[in-house]
Amino acid sequence: MKVLALYSIKGGVGKTSSAVNLAFNSAQSGYRTLVWDLDPQGASSYYFRIKPKIKGGSKDLMAGKRDLDELIKGTDFDNLDLIPADFSFRNLDLLLDDKKKPTRQLKKRLKPMADEYDFVFLDCPPNISLLSEAVFEAADLLLSPIIPTTLSLRTLTQLTGFIKDHDLAKLSLIPFFSMVDGRKKLHKDIMQQVLADYPAMLQTAIPYASDIERMGLERKPLAAYSGKSRSARAYHELWQEILARITL
Amino acid sequence: MATHYALPATLTAEKLIGTLSEKVEIDQFPKQYFLKTFYDSFDWRLYQQGLSCEFNRSKQISSLQLTDRKNGELVASTILFDVPSFSKQFNPGKVRQTLEAILEMRALLAVCTLECEAYHLNILNEDGKIVLRLLIEEFELLKSRLTLIPVKGYDKAAERIAEMLAELGLTAVDKPVLLEALKLQGRHPRDYSSKLDIRLAPEMHADVASKTIFSTLLRTIKVNEQGTIADIDSEFLHDFRVAVRRTRVGLSQIKNVLPEDVIARHKEFFSWLGQITSETRDLDVYLLNFEQYKKKLPAVIRQSINPLHNFLTVKKQKSHKQLAKKLNSSKYLTMLAEWEEYLASTPPKNPTEADAQLTVKELADHRIWKVYKQVIKEGGSIGRHSPPEALHKLRKTCKKLRYLMEFFQNLYPERRIDKLIKRLKSLQDVLGDYQDYATQQERLEQFSEEMQAINTPSKTFMAMGVLIQDFETRKGKARDCFTSQFAAFKKTENHTDFHALFASKKP
Repeated sequence: MKVLALYSIKGGVGKTSSAVNLAFNSAQSGYRTLVWDLDPQGASSYYFRIKPKIKGGSKDLMAGKRDLDELIKGTDFDNLDLIPADFSFRNLDLLLDDKKKPTRQLKKRLKPMADEYDFVFLDCPPNISLLSEAVFEAADLLLSPIIPTTLSLRTLTQLTGFIKDHDLAKLSLIPFFSMVDGRKKLHKDIMQQVLADYPAMLQTAIPYASDIERMGLERKPLAAYSGKSRSARAYHELWQEILARITL
Repeated sequence: MATHYALPATLTAEKLIGTLSEKVEIDQFPKQYFLKTFYDSFDWRLYQQGLSCEFNRSKQISSLQLTDRKNGELVASTILFDVPSFSKQFNPGKVRQTLEAILEMRALLAVCTLECEAYHLNILNEDGKIVLRLLIEEFELLKSRLTLIPVKGYDKAAERIAEMLAELGLTAVDKPVLLEALKLQGRHPRDYSSKLDIRLAPEMHADVASKTIFSTLLRTIKVNEQGTIADIDSEFLHDFRVAVRRTRVGLSQIKNVLPEDVIARHKEFFSWLGQITSETRDLDVYLLNFEQYKKKLPAVIRQSINPLHNFLTVKKQKSHKQLAKKLNSSKYLTMLAEWEEYLASTPPKNPTEADAQLTVKELADHRIWKVYKQVIKEGGSIGRHSPPEALHKLRKTCKKLRYLMEFFQNLYPERRIDKLIKRLKSLQDVLGDYQDYATQQERLEQFSEEMQAINTPSKTFMAMGVLIQDFETRKGKARDCFTSQFAAFKKTENHTDFHALFASKKP
């Protein structure tokens, strides 16, 4: 089982849509896939028409009263399950802080899932907090969507620094471009520059597109309603690229 | 876990769907006409591993599904137009990964096909989320089936529908469709295995028992014959050859039991069969191991070995064509029919052969003990400077012993004979490795000579040279291992066990 976290310090960069669409691609290529919606806003749960609520809330979960397995909901798609968000996840940091080894908690909860799933996608809330550190401990790959703007790039630098300072050598940070507007010169220029500076950067870029925005109306992964679109193809290619990195 | 139900004869799928849709929100797909084909390898590897592989072909979409045979859960699935023969020909993904580990070199073959009309229904909740799936399949010759596929985390919906189904007279069934479909054909799963399983009674006369053994081997030869001719996968020829070799050992080792003239005539025939199949098998082995050989090469010259693959492929095709021709020849067909006829004939009441009327147990004890002693003698005389031929000879004797033990295996307490076979196998493995490396090294030298004539790049010869050297090293290691393996086999404990099992009674 490989744990892939969709993470960014910044909000509104396309984390949730990437988590949902990459997980969908993973499931479609036959891998048993789980999405864990860690964001109290519950956007990925919403996209799968699953109520953002878990039995006992985050309290029971962190107290070890419930196994993750009890909380899993099957989505409408083969090989693809989800652990819904819960509004109480907004307090996850506090609950983690009460624990002995707070940053190890997510990893510990996920461990029993190892035989059940090939890939787990963590849809993380934006910020850098104790929960983020727990995500870094649990994840094998940190997939970070980057909008090609200067502000977004700053967060990438911050993240790289954080990983370095916290001795997370095992964690591989893989950034990719998200919400790219092909008409903007600035986007193109920044992309060229970043591809040269960050060899880990994935080649496939996810476009800024209205069909991705429509996910909120359709409440489905992109490829389930617009499988042949350019954006759906981009997610497919992005997944192939990630897969190649994993098997290496 | 999916649950299967049989529909009562009076209830059609459409009527059932009508009744359900009055009570729950249903998302129904148009009825689909399917051809459902079950796949497995010739030796039922998927079935043995608890998997069922079915390919559903329809006008709209065709997909291949691997499911857990016991709980009906989906293991992996993929959209496909046609089913490839080999797992490595599938696109990368879970299906391929699962199949590769189980099937190895074996091809996927269609086991049986059913015509089917399928109705897919999704039961939805108030958010339009699927909380349960139903599949109703109507077959031509089998009872209609409903499969209830729960969605994880939505157990209540499944319970509710299950109650409704029971009220409508549907009954749960646990036998997979595959088994029922096979039954219609008069077949059952695992009707072929390359493992020898000969049922003999200890009091059976030696001549009757020998015929039973040879008949079992003949059946293996015959069932693998067409797959060998069509070259479906390399295991058909492999199993064919093993059965031929076992027959040859039987003919030479089961002495004074069957008439001398019959034995002599067929010894020659089976020896010929061994010869005509040997080159194709050798080339198969090369092609099967090719990727491993490649990995042994340093990265810089790894691709340079590819011309050898092309050379081997062409050579194998030619060799196989010759082989197929011989397996269709009148010599082969006549001799095999003659052998079959002889084995089917009733043994004479008063046979002239000295040991024909011994019990099979007496015969087995005597032969196994004798060949065991021969193994000890030959192995004991091999020293550090003995020529390779000595090891080759011992390898052949060990094989004789192994086959004899397997022919008569069920006459002895299972655990005791299994233990001895296992010990013998360890010795055989090291002797086999030594011989394989020697042969492969020698053959590679021959190939290299043949390839001189066909404009081969010099880098290819360099890469082949590295492989030859590698075989030399590994041969040396195998030779070093032999001494300790033989010492282990010769240990008093093993000797006592062999003695206790086989030397107790002599004819």
